[in-house]
Amino acid sequence: MAMNGTQGYRSGLVDLETGQISREIFVNDDIYAQEQERVFARSWLFVGHESQIPKPGDYFVSRMGEESVILCRDRAGTVHVFLNSCRHRGMKVCRYDDGNTAVFTCPYHGWSYGTDGKLVGVPYFREAYHSELDKSQWGLVEVAQLCVYKGMVWANWDASAPPFLEYLGEFRRFLDLILDGWDGREGQAELLGGVQKWLIPCNWKFPAENFSGDSYHNISHRSVDLVGVGPSGKSRRDYGELNVAKKLHVAIPDRGHQTITYLLPKDHLPQPSYQNNPEVAEYFRHCEEERRKRPGPNARLIGAPGEIFPNVALLPRQPRTLAVWHPKSAHQTEVWRFFFVDRDAPQVVKNFLRDYYIRYSGPAGMTEQDDMENWNYAHAASRGVIARRHPYTYEMGLGHAVEDFEFEGYRMPGRVIDITQIQSSEEPMRNLYGRWAQFMEADSWDQLMTWRKSSAPRELAAAK
Amino acid sequence: MSDGPINIRDLAVGTTVVLLSGAEAEIVDNPKDGVWLFARYLKSPHDPDLVGAEEMIFAQDVVDTRS
Repeated sequence: MAMNGTQGYRSGLVDLETGQISREIFVNDDIYAQEQERVFARSWLFVGHESQIPKPGDYFVSRMGEESVILCRDRAGTVHVFLNSCRHRGMKVCRYDDGNTAVFTCPYHGWSYGTDGKLVGVPYFREAYHSELDKSQWGLVEVAQLCVYKGMVWANWDASAPPFLEYLGEFRRFLDLILDGWDGREGQAELLGGVQKWLIPCNWKFPAENFSGDSYHNISHRSVDLVGVGPSGKSRRDYGELNVAKKLHVAIPDRGHQTITYLLPKDHLPQPSYQNNPEVAEYFRHCEEERRKRPGPNARLIGAPGEIFPNVALLPRQPRTLAVWHPKSAHQTEVWRFFFVDRDAPQVVKNFLRDYYIRYSGPAGMTEQDDMENWNYAHAASRGVIARRHPYTYEMGLGHAVEDFEFEGYRMPGRVIDITQIQSSEEPMRNLYGRWAQFMEADSWDQLMTWRKSSAPRELAAAK
Repeated sequence: MSDGPINIRDLAVGTTVVLLSGAEAEIVDNPKDGVWLFARYLKSPHDPDLVGAEEMIFAQDVVDTRS
């Protein structure tokens, strides 16, 4: 599986016809360097949530790929994302995690920027620069595109990328499962507590692949299931509805997003859940009833692990959390985990969920520890010269996805494999790496927006 | 002139600072980053046009204070 310059990803390193993927894409430092330019500098990346910066002057220091960025709200209330690097000599202009400020001042030579990014302070501007420096040209570097969607802030360095919602495509409904209220009201999510951040010694694609919908690795969590960390004291989640739902792998092929989802039959009643606390159980029973009354596609969906290309993982239901896999090197990833609740949920519910969330996820979470052990050892065992000669197999379910899946009147978008009986497939992973290979080979977004080309004839036909 | 460097983080709004150029300015805001003050010029012998103007004042330009 040789690589020819920047080509050869789809035809060699990522072979979707045989379902084989080279270990090089996980452990090769040159490939990692190319990813920063071809994937992370062109993709929509999650930066933070509006609830982290409610007031003018509030900021949260985040990351986009390897780079530090500042998410902030300026004095006029506008949200910005800036590269956290002084235009003079590159020093970070903000070295706190979050806070409130009037200016971002570089500690090296003292250049200072307003919360709108404008350069406002240059030491000895009159004397040393003779008032000749054009300050308007030397503000903080701002992202090319920014989108605030139901409170989430997404940003992109590439002005030629499609708008965020077009980038998301039909995956939007699965993102909504984490952002809308438990009772189905739009955009009710707020961040619960701070952001958990920690380092893991593996390539960022190990967790990205896992959260794309790896239902094959459940044996790893057997001990957690036996302990019963779930909100009803059994297993790790409440599984009542799942006895009647369709369990599906859904992959949006031209976007690179994929997920597990559960599709309920029509007129299905809520099942008991959150049984460890009667008050919390009653709250969720009520929410589930309300959700089923609302129109739209999500009333019959139960969220499960999913991934928005390239590095954002969703867990919309239990626990309701989002993770970002920030690349640090080919061999190290910085994980940031955000937890969500409905902002108007009773405090007893928030407290109950906080305990459940951290029992499950994060560096001390029992389920996440299982996952990290797998990723970290798999990465280490794939770095050697002998190991690199042998690709991984992703052929499970190859050729078995359908594009017109329907269940009791619900039409599911994308390529779907019904895993209710067969337990698992690797369609989500093939979808992730197929898109990854497209990004690594494409020279521009024109080549990546395949849906625009393919939809043109249909639109023309419809116009006639 | 002060005996040594002034920690501008400690200066309250309303304090008058004396600058290296001989100008004097009243602090209108202090971001407390230790580098800058927002101030309005009260006197400016070398550039009288600055009087009344609000500008950012660099810490190393501050040589004294008047209460």
